[in-house]
Amino acid sequence: MEKFHSESIGATNVENLQFNVPIRRMRRTLLGTVPVESPLYSFHPVTRFFSLILLGVAPLFIDTPELNVLWIMLILLLMIYGRVDMSRLKIYVPLIFTVALFMFSIAILLPGEDPTYIPFKFMGITIYYQRIFWALVSYVRVMALLFGSIQYFLTNRETDMLVSLQTLKVPFPVTYFVGLSIRGADMFMQDMKTIREAERARGLDEGSLAFKDRAKLYAMYMIPLFTLAIRRADEIGNALFVRGYTFAGEVLGGGKRTSTVMNLYQFKVRDTFLCALQVGLFVTMAILQLKFSQFRIDHSPLNAYFLSILT
Amino acid sequence: MAPIIVLNNLFWQYEGQEDFALREICLKIEESSFTSIIGPNEAGKTTLVSCIRGLIPRSYHGILRGSIEVLGKNIADKTELELAKEIGFVFADPEAQFTAMTVLEELAFGMENIGFSLNEIKERLEWVTEMTNIQDLLDKSPFEISGGQKQRITIASMLALKPKIFILDEPTSMLDPLGKDQIINILTTLKEQEAMTLIVVEHNIEQIAPLSDQIVLMADGKVLKSDSPQDFFCDIEPLERLGIAVPHITSFASNLLDLGLYEPPLPLTIEQAIGPCRLILEQRGRE
Repeated sequence: MEKFHSESIGATNVENLQFNVPIRRMRRTLLGTVPVESPLYSFHPVTRFFSLILLGVAPLFIDTPELNVLWIMLILLLMIYGRVDMSRLKIYVPLIFTVALFMFSIAILLPGEDPTYIPFKFMGITIYYQRIFWALVSYVRVMALLFGSIQYFLTNRETDMLVSLQTLKVPFPVTYFVGLSIRGADMFMQDMKTIREAERARGLDEGSLAFKDRAKLYAMYMIPLFTLAIRRADEIGNALFVRGYTFAGEVLGGGKRTSTVMNLYQFKVRDTFLCALQVGLFVTMAILQLKFSQFRIDHSPLNAYFLSILT
Repeated sequence: MAPIIVLNNLFWQYEGQEDFALREICLKIEESSFTSIIGPNEAGKTTLVSCIRGLIPRSYHGILRGSIEVLGKNIADKTELELAKEIGFVFADPEAQFTAMTVLEELAFGMENIGFSLNEIKERLEWVTEMTNIQDLLDKSPFEISGGQKQRITIASMLALKPKIFILDEPTSMLDPLGKDQIINILTTLKEQEAMTLIVVEHNIEQIAPLSDQIVLMADGKVLKSDSPQDFFCDIEPLERLGIAVPHITSFASNLLDLGLYEPPLPLTIEQAIGPCRLILEQRGRE
């Protein structure tokens, strides 16, 4: 029997536990699959969790769109480093376009009123520069937040998230609730898929339905979905009961609860360094923007260029 | 052997239901025995094992009368953790019982709740994964594997706790023939190697009867019959009236018995029937 390669789970002491697990090529993550030999897995889940905080939240401090574009490029490079199948990002293209359409439409159609706005004509429509540029700033920021989250959820599993939260001393019932919620969302989607497939098997052609009828159809899904969700909650409750789970997470004899999966991972020196670096960078960015406004729009060369043309 | 489970005049009515789901249940189950509970649908089999496990009345509302004693103590006096350690329970639908996103976590979850040390968890994991042949699945999601594998994982997650009493509620009902055989093999191994008290609710009598020390027949919330397999099948007509599928070889021998060609006890397996059948053929040859 082959032993699980320690790198494949990012834990050097797996072999000490001597679980006879074979090598697997791909690992299913929350949003896809990633090769088990991805270099990202050599880092502790906490290190990866801090990357979510940094990459997924720090763009909120940045108004300068150029910096957020660089931020997105950094995230994409990290995905390539993590051996993510970049073709999977195609599924997010409709989302990227929808968000753009929504944000720019609002900026064009509902600009509001301000005497300082600089108007210009584009295809016969009056557009106000400040509104459209702010829409661009917000859009790029949202994209940075989106890609930061995709990067994390595409390369991590629910287990990684729970291990990181438990390492950060979040109480077990809380981490377990998070895990069950993620699982619940996944099951909800699976149930919906099953119901839709059953409808198609009975000859329903969604494509032929008018928008109103399609909306009605989706509303009708809610009844079986919620019924199933309630039944599943009952079943999981029973399953937890027979496994001796108590809400407070107490154990027989009042001792400390062991976490088997936490012992599969080792927090190495480089993890300490990277965590400190990421937290430091996050705090620095927050201070630079909140106290010194270093990432405001005025610092954008693109903004300066457009203003020079329009004024 | 001393009874490990004693049900005394047990009645149970689910809240909102007009009739009692269980009525006048008096049953003793001996330690380290293999008890099969059979009966038509809606007979009260699942309700009965839920009472033994303590799911009733803890997780369901209703009226309970009578007493349930497990390991010499009323079940109402036991804590949830004590119950989890002493009584394992496997539900019919394996997917409905998963509480974690990897098989390893699923197996370890119960042991962590009970408070086992890491070394103990490690030892038990090795034992249980070998016993149920799921060594290759530890890193997988329990939702990604076949039905038979899923049920083996739920069995393993309970077995890892090494409960004194292990209840399986229709463990093969949602499985294909291969999956059913694998579960029966695990039950056979458990009966042969472990001193557990096994209680199995099952429709697959053909495979389960030969393993049983006691078979309990239920219908309409009552225990109609409780006997050793040989005595249980001595009269198969009432069973067939209830729609209970008697093992084919038992049915065949029963027909021979009616013709005066077979001597009791009735066989439960082909192996048990070979000797008597050979004798009949030899006698007929001489005649």
